[in-house]
Amino acid sequence: MRRRTALRLAATTVLVGLTVTACGTGSSGDPANAGGTKQATQSADIDKNATVDVRLVLEPTSLDIASTAGAALDQILLDNIYQGLLTRDENNKIRPSLATSYEASSDGLTYTFHLAKDATFHDGSQVTAADAVWSLQQVTAVGSKNPDAAALASVKSVSASGDHTVVVKLKHRDTNFTWGLTERAGIVFKKGTDFSTLAGKENGTGPFELAGWKRGSSITFVRDDSYWGTKAKVAKVVLHYIKDDNAANNAQQTSQTDIETAAQADLLQPFSDTGKYTVLRGDTTDKFTLAFNNASGPTKDIRVRRAIRQAIDNAGLVKTLGGAAKAVGGPVPATDPGYEDLTAIDAYDPTSAKKLLKQAGYGSGLKLTVQIPNIYPPTIGDYLISDLKQVGIQLTVKQVEFQTWLNTVFTKHDYQLSLVDHAEARDLYNFANPAYYFGYDNANVQKWYAAAGTATSDVQRDAYLKKAARQVSQDAAADWLFVNQTLTVVRSGVTGVPRNFTSSRYDLADLAVAKK
Amino acid sequence: MTLYLLRRAALLVVSLFAASVLIFLVLRLLPGDVAQTIGGIKATPAQVAAVREDLGLDRPLVAQYGSWIGGVVTGDFGRSVLDGTSVSGQLAEKFAVTGPLTLGAVVLALAFAVPLGVFAAVRRDSWLGGAVNTLGQFGIALPALWVGLLLVLVFAVQVRWLPAQGFPVDGWAEPGQALRSLVLPWLTLALSEGAVLLRFVRSAVLDVLHQDWLRTARAKGRTRTGALLSHGLRNAAVPVVSVLGLQIAALIAGAVVVEQVFVLPGVGQMLITDVGNRDLDKVQSEILLLTGAVLVIGFLVDLVHRLIDPRLRSAV
Repeated sequence: MRRRTALRLAATTVLVGLTVTACGTGSSGDPANAGGTKQATQSADIDKNATVDVRLVLEPTSLDIASTAGAALDQILLDNIYQGLLTRDENNKIRPSLATSYEASSDGLTYTFHLAKDATFHDGSQVTAADAVWSLQQVTAVGSKNPDAAALASVKSVSASGDHTVVVKLKHRDTNFTWGLTERAGIVFKKGTDFSTLAGKENGTGPFELAGWKRGSSITFVRDDSYWGTKAKVAKVVLHYIKDDNAANNAQQTSQTDIETAAQADLLQPFSDTGKYTVLRGDTTDKFTLAFNNASGPTKDIRVRRAIRQAIDNAGLVKTLGGAAKAVGGPVPATDPGYEDLTAIDAYDPTSAKKLLKQAGYGSGLKLTVQIPNIYPPTIGDYLISDLKQVGIQLTVKQVEFQTWLNTVFTKHDYQLSLVDHAEARDLYNFANPAYYFGYDNANVQKWYAAAGTATSDVQRDAYLKKAARQVSQDAAADWLFVNQTLTVVRSGVTGVPRNFTSSRYDLADLAVAKK
Repeated sequence: MTLYLLRRAALLVVSLFAASVLIFLVLRLLPGDVAQTIGGIKATPAQVAAVREDLGLDRPLVAQYGSWIGGVVTGDFGRSVLDGTSVSGQLAEKFAVTGPLTLGAVVLALAFAVPLGVFAAVRRDSWLGGAVNTLGQFGIALPALWVGLLLVLVFAVQVRWLPAQGFPVDGWAEPGQALRSLVLPWLTLALSEGAVLLRFVRSAVLDVLHQDWLRTARAKGRTRTGALLSHGLRNAAVPVVSVLGLQIAALIAGAVVVEQVFVLPGVGQMLITDVGNRDLDKVQSEILLLTGAVLVIGFLVDLVHRLIDPRLRSAV
């Protein structure tokens, strides 16, 4: 299979979801529709010496983005410190980055990338095709330890044509190839970089440089004044890692931070003064997935899996969590290719759920255990217990440390039900991989997913993906409880703040602070 | 005294060795490892296995223990597998927060616990003494988490006198800011620790108030206060110092709740993060060093006992 999922420990992103309210958003109603803070501030009004303090949640375990996995690294390092040939915008559309343009051959097997001629690393040396070729080769090499190596599995060869042109040949057509280049697998490092030195320092090409890392507290970026592209509009950004939502709220209220990402919907009341704050509501690809063990135990029976899905009132759960989330009904969120509304499949119907359980031989009751990493709010587990009890399922919630989840559920597949946030975009491949911890094995889904990967057009690709996603949902391979939304509180005077996918990558290049 | 010191030093070494074995083995019982943290869930099992091999995690436990303890005896406590930082450097950085936090809280706790505890004992039959005693019990019952949140709400969010959370990015290079950051955590810890101390001081003083030698001192013409100050407090201090030592030891790694409420990058926070990441090479050295610190504190408490009470010096 092409790639494995990235479960983000987006503990907070769950909590993010709490309220649609008008409560925190004041007269603008839902500020997500108010244009947010992306409106350009006139350059004359910008304080170019400003420092912006941002609350983030998950601190990276290392800054070695070439070898160490973790969404927290991608979130801050991609675009800001390191850049790839391609990137993606706030709506997850693929955009140029170090490659200002590219062409694909008509057979889809050869990609030619044209590098920016004035791009430089932070040490001042020029970015050349040799750097890009070397970087991609480190990912595709046999035995590569890059956690994202599978993103470039279709690459046959990489070569330079002159100083600023990179040619990539593929083994077969790959509709995911350019997307893969927007992720960390596509980062261009200086040729010969010793990755073991990157844990605490960098030599990227982005608009910011790493100025310091106080482990357990904050990471500081400063503007690279010799950046080859459009320079950052603020001099310094301090990323404060505050896990506790109340502490983060207090920090924002008392102006210790200018931006609070992953704000809790039920804690927005202090930010109702729209003269002082704006609350941004953004999309995510965070799918809170109630995984069923499709390969063994009671949930091997599709009737049990369907009964569980029908027993859960997803809309009610979203409401309980405050409303900043959407029911999805399938494995593809609205912002990914291949999305369609599948909420009608196995919709909430406790009566039907009871019948299905009876047919499966569990008319007198069924005991199940769900393993949930303790980073998620206990409310979800309580809600599941309550809903499943009504159809005769006695659910035990086992809260575990995330590493224990990784070991027991993810690696050993020793579980009945599991709940985690599958935050990665375009991760339908997990249901096309029978070895994945879902244990879901459907030959048609695997065939359609593979066909989507080698499709000749986006329309064709999307058609295959839709077909596969629908089948996955009809087989009740899992229950997608909801797709989260993300809330960001921004103090007045700060603009250019990212709205969507904020736990995946947080592009700081447009941040600006108005002069007082 | 020299013999006593030598015996204590030998005991310290043996205790540390036993602790190192225990720490190493117990940590290996935790499910998962740092290779999975590094590979995450995108890496293939083969990639995770390769990382495991690179890090030497596939070696026999005896060999892994040998490498670690071999470094420790030469003063090399190792490095984080994840970010390459030295354990001693990181502990020093975190202790620059936890140390002042702990010591400040203990000093503050002593400042009100000792006089109030003595007062509550001496005036045990008055309503005021009873009130102080009740206040102490109330303080013990208050959860530090709740007290911290309340203090933040009042002094940071409402009146804006003090920061709500965090420690300055530049640490003690900004002494004013650093001190301001610690005021509320100090108060939070001092209230709960001081309440415990108050009860112990009261109990210890009550105990000495009934001793024959105190009555003798008064029979010789000392006032009650004079006799208590010159003879009583010194005797009452022995159990109080024991409790104080335990409190300081417990706070070094145990102030984690307060560190979390106030988002302070201290020792407790670091330990929790490192265990979560299964950065065990780092964790085992951190715990061993903390164990050493606790044993040294115990040693110092014993020394103080001997300074306070001459009878203990001859009891070696």
